[in-house]
Amino acid sequence: METLLLIVRNLKARPVRSLLTLLGILVATASMVLFLSFGEGLRKALSAEMTKFGPQIRVVAEGTGTFGVPNPELGPEVLKTLKAHADELGIARLFPAAVMMKGSGFDPATTFLFYGLPEGITPKDLAPAAKVVAGRLDPHPDGAVVGKQKAEQSRLTLGKTLRLSRKIAIPIVGIVDAGSGFANSFIFVPMQAVQKALNTTNYSVILVYVKEGFAADEVAEKIEARVPGVDAQSTTEAVKYAERAIRIGDVIRFGISLIALIVGGLLVANTVMMSVYERIREFGVMRAIGARRGFIFRLVLFEALLLALSGGALGVGVGIAGSQVVNLYTTHAVGLALSAVTPRLVLFAMLVAVTLGLVAGVIPARVASRISVIEALGRV
Amino acid sequence: MKKPILQAKNLTKRYRQGEAWIEALKGFTYDFPPGVTAVVGPSGSGKTTLLNLLAGFDTPTEGEAYLAGNPLHALGEDERAGVRLLHAGFVFQSWNLLPTLTALENVAFPMLLKGVPAKARTERARALLAEVGLSHREDHFPRQLSGGEQQRVAIARALALDPLVLFADEPTGNLDSAAGKRVLELLLRQARGERRVVLVTHDPEVAARAERILRLKDGALIEIQERP
Ligand SMILES: Nc1ncnc2c1ncn2[C@@H]1O[C@H](COP(=O)(O)OP(=O)(O)OP(=O)(O)O)[C@@H](O)[C@H]1O
Ligand SMILES: [Mg+2]
Repeated sequence: METLLLIVRNLKARPVRSLLTLLGILVATASMVLFLSFGEGLRKALSAEMTKFGPQIRVVAEGTGTFGVPNPELGPEVLKTLKAHADELGIARLFPAAVMMKGSGFDPATTFLFYGLPEGITPKDLAPAAKVVAGRLDPHPDGAVVGKQKAEQSRLTLGKTLRLSRKIAIPIVGIVDAGSGFANSFIFVPMQAVQKALNTTNYSVILVYVKEGFAADEVAEKIEARVPGVDAQSTTEAVKYAERAIRIGDVIRFGISLIALIVGGLLVANTVMMSVYERIREFGVMRAIGARRGFIFRLVLFEALLLALSGGALGVGVGIAGSQVVNLYTTHAVGLALSAVTPRLVLFAMLVAVTLGLVAGVIPARVASRISVIEALGRV
Repeated sequence: MKKPILQAKNLTKRYRQGEAWIEALKGFTYDFPPGVTAVVGPSGSGKTTLLNLLAGFDTPTEGEAYLAGNPLHALGEDERAGVRLLHAGFVFQSWNLLPTLTALENVAFPMLLKGVPAKARTERARALLAEVGLSHREDHFPRQLSGGEQQRVAIARALALDPLVLFADEPTGNLDSAAGKRVLELLLRQARGERRVVLVTHDPEVAARAERILRLKDGALIEIQERP
């Protein structure tokens, strides 16, 4: 531990340089933590979503993306076929819905997703944990029940009127907390209103509860085999699909932050190397007194490690703070905390910092430990 | 047979200089007796080269060097460092101390390398600083000390592990005569019991205080002068 004293003294002897180096690693680590926190946040949000979403399968027209807004392309015969074969397919319960997006799609405050539910179906059937915040839960007849998040974002209150089309306007009769980010950004309305506005009798989606003892994946496959022209997307499948996308994102984000990390590593290597060159005489004295090579090797390596570790730890701290700022914004904008600094991300960042320190320190340490006493002491 | 504490046999060092070879030390043979031995000679005569070989800083081209019974010529870098740590102390002309450590910490440093517990280290370092008259400078850093004080701290450090041999290469070379005298007296006082003190110097007055003088010329030992 006395070596630590030597290292700290040396770093303190050149405070500005040590601080700048620390700052470099701090920025590198913080940016990496922040970048990777999006992947972790998406994962967390996703798994939270999936547990809050009631139906295990959504049936949509072929070609709809896993997380896309489906077009009303399912004819009434699809619903009929599914109902007829519900028992053999392993379907416990199913209901259709018609979905319509209105607005720019870019600015969440002026984008409205109308979720048309058939008679007898309420937001609770979509998100079992749904609770009324104000007014009532059921949009029928002729009412709109607004997700809590959407209500706050677009300043929607009871009694206001929403316009689906030029002819169709519906008063807000309830505010609901569906407990999920997605569902909380929906506006639930009677299905006929959406169908009328879209001028169709089709459905956008059919939501399926799977019978107990059946696997959602298998049921989804059977539905696709039975009904031509549809995609049956199970939540487990969606999670897998999303996980793959997130992982690709992780690799890309890590790749970007790798640049910062490499720069940080070079900073450490440069600082430590410079301090080695400045201390050749010092190392010579130590060797003359009787310090072994290993002692000096460790001294220099630990200096790099200490820089990298403290910079890394501070960087993780700044990363966490940054992630909270991001979440402040994203929860407001889309109702999801998109960034999460999970324990494993902290561990990973510290591991990267340690590796950085080791890699950056090993060459200067080797140089320092190989300094010959005579060269170092100079010829007196 | 008794182990040689400080002995050189046919110690030779050659440096390659382009095509030619420089013989910095030629067949130096001597068994250092206890007490102070001065090594004198003109610049370039091989004094520092000799000290480097006796201390194991460098390896001889030929010949043997024994320190506290250890054949330095047959040992690796780290083994020689280990022998030095336990059996030799050093005082150089200048730049002896570690600049980021206090006087006390500098004196304690060899004990740290050896693994002496912290408390015992500090205690001994305090006593040694008192012995060289620098108790009031314990927490000063080298840059806050005068040249003479720095050399006295270096002497205290050299004594930390009670070495058999004390090497000093021009220890008073950078000091004025008063400070130099004090440092010299301190060094001479350390020649106790079995301890050998090797004192490399240009200064005839300094050399005159030693018990014997070895005179080098062009790398050869040309005279051994015992003081009556
Ligand atoms: N590394 C080296 N490479 C080449 N020649 C060297 C080297 N070290 C010493 N020499 C030569 O060896 C000879 C002896 O040098 P050394 O330093 O031992 O002399 P010295 O007696 O200590 O001199 P001074 O009194 O100036 O300190 C000199 O001619 C010197 O140039
Ligand atoms: Mg010399």
